[in-house]
Amino acid sequence: MKELQELAEQLINGYSDHVARLTQELLDKGATPQTILNEGLVAGMTVVGERMRSGEMYLPEVLQSASAMHASLKILKPHLVRDGVESRGKILMGTVKGDMHDIGKNLVGIMLEGAGYEIVDLGLNVQAQKFVEAIQTHKPAILGLSAMLTTTMLHMKTTIDAITQAGVRANVKILVGGAPVSQKFADEVGADAYARDAVKAVDKVKELLAA
Amino acid sequence: MNNRLNDAMDCRASDRVPFVPAIYEHKAWFVHSTPSIVCRDVKLFTEALLAEYESIHPDALTVGIDVYNVEAEAVGCQVRYYGEGETSVPAIEPDTVLYHGDDDMGSLRMPDPSKDGRMPVNVEVATNIVQALGKEIPVRGAVSGPFSMAASLVGPENFLMLTITKPALVHEVMKFCAEVIQQYATAFVRIGCGIVIFDSQSSPALISPDMYRDFVLKPTQELIRSLQMLGVKNVPLIVGGNTTDILEPYLETGGNNILCDYPADAGEFLLRCSAARRAFRRNIDSSDFITTTPEKLGARTRECLDEGKGYPGFILGTAVAPFGTPLEHLLAIKTAVEEYSGKSSA
Repeated sequence: MKELQELAEQLINGYSDHVARLTQELLDKGATPQTILNEGLVAGMTVVGERMRSGEMYLPEVLQSASAMHASLKILKPHLVRDGVESRGKILMGTVKGDMHDIGKNLVGIMLEGAGYEIVDLGLNVQAQKFVEAIQTHKPAILGLSAMLTTTMLHMKTTIDAITQAGVRANVKILVGGAPVSQKFADEVGADAYARDAVKAVDKVKELLAA
Repeated sequence: MNNRLNDAMDCRASDRVPFVPAIYEHKAWFVHSTPSIVCRDVKLFTEALLAEYESIHPDALTVGIDVYNVEAEAVGCQVRYYGEGETSVPAIEPDTVLYHGDDDMGSLRMPDPSKDGRMPVNVEVATNIVQALGKEIPVRGAVSGPFSMAASLVGPENFLMLTITKPALVHEVMKFCAEVIQQYATAFVRIGCGIVIFDSQSSPALISPDMYRDFVLKPTQELIRSLQMLGVKNVPLIVGGNTTDILEPYLETGGNNILCDYPADAGEFLLRCSAARRAFRRNIDSSDFITTTPEKLGARTRECLDEGKGYPGFILGTAVAPFGTPLEHLLAIKTAVEEYSGKSSA
């Protein structure tokens, strides 16, 4: 469908107004919300991810595309809920205690949302206990932990230990990331996976959910 | 006077590679306190720097703990400080950013380094350290780069979006930030202190090389040139992350002692910096500083030293040492540097 392709292209270009208008037009013409989501938004964000991976797009452009995606989702969400369309999985995420940086986490959230996952974002400077409670409340398939500083990354272990002690570790797969984090560190703190960037995070989430 | 760092910045051979570890929030550890307490207390901050020097004998000292907050705080942003026993690093409260991308920048006022925020604290600490150690080693005041300060002032995501939606406004904000930094840096220079500019928000992890040229290069060049005119011969410019893709404009800033962080391509830095007769600091990854062993750090240090072997403009550093890094781990790196060239230092 030509309009869906145009929707994806406008999303890649980051034109929020156009994306919102096209979303409404597609709904008015009878396109299903799921089709618009998958063939417009997810398709567009997949290209955004590929271009980010290849260095054709950088964070400012990706944020523009994300803004366009959110403009469309604002219109689509009531329709998706009404039709009972389920997401590909629920992801809980947050920046660990003592860390006020969230660009990396937000970017991961954008790419995951663009890939069709539901995001529950606890924000930044999140205490271990709050992660535990959110796992119990939201029952996510995956928990994403972010840290930007060498000093705060150590709270990833504290958080995972608290989740284990609360008896909910088996309920959730844990993905870690952030500038100082590595696969070695992820192994040491008992995470299930490590992603070095937002595009890789989407791949890792797919792998974890398929396992 | 220990001139190893100055010799390296002049690409002049000295007895060994200079060692300049990145100790910021970890300074508080030397006085058994926390970053939030020490960064606001002249006496403790001074004692922390003196203790850092006595414990490690690095080849330079840097006055700064939460280096990216100071200018934005002085303009009016609020910083979150943590309570007793909390070792987290102070940070700008996201909800207190001052500028939301309106066309009117009139609400932004120029701070006075002698009065506003913690600028006077840092300048007083620098004065104390210059008096105590200024004849022994280089002492540098830490300032933000214009792009990083602007990101703090506007909020990083908002600011990155503005580079696309309102580029002219970004240039204006950058101009304002460069002026704030220039004033703050001048206060350090006046008391005989050197300067280090930190600008990791301009790393290719966040913006493209084209954006670096469009937005960052010119105000950074002007800032560095203004500091050179004040008599600061060499101005280190620290941009973390893999900066290989911006190496050309990075060199064009005029900064000396640029950073080749651990993910960056040391071979490329060596090639281009030696052609430009410019010093670069190679960082050791610090993410496992707390959990690793001195032996492993020694081996890693030797690998890093091999990367710059024979180049007189090579400086060894570390990524930011996490709070609580055991002293023997930092000393293991220092010892490896000394043994590499067969020279120890007091």
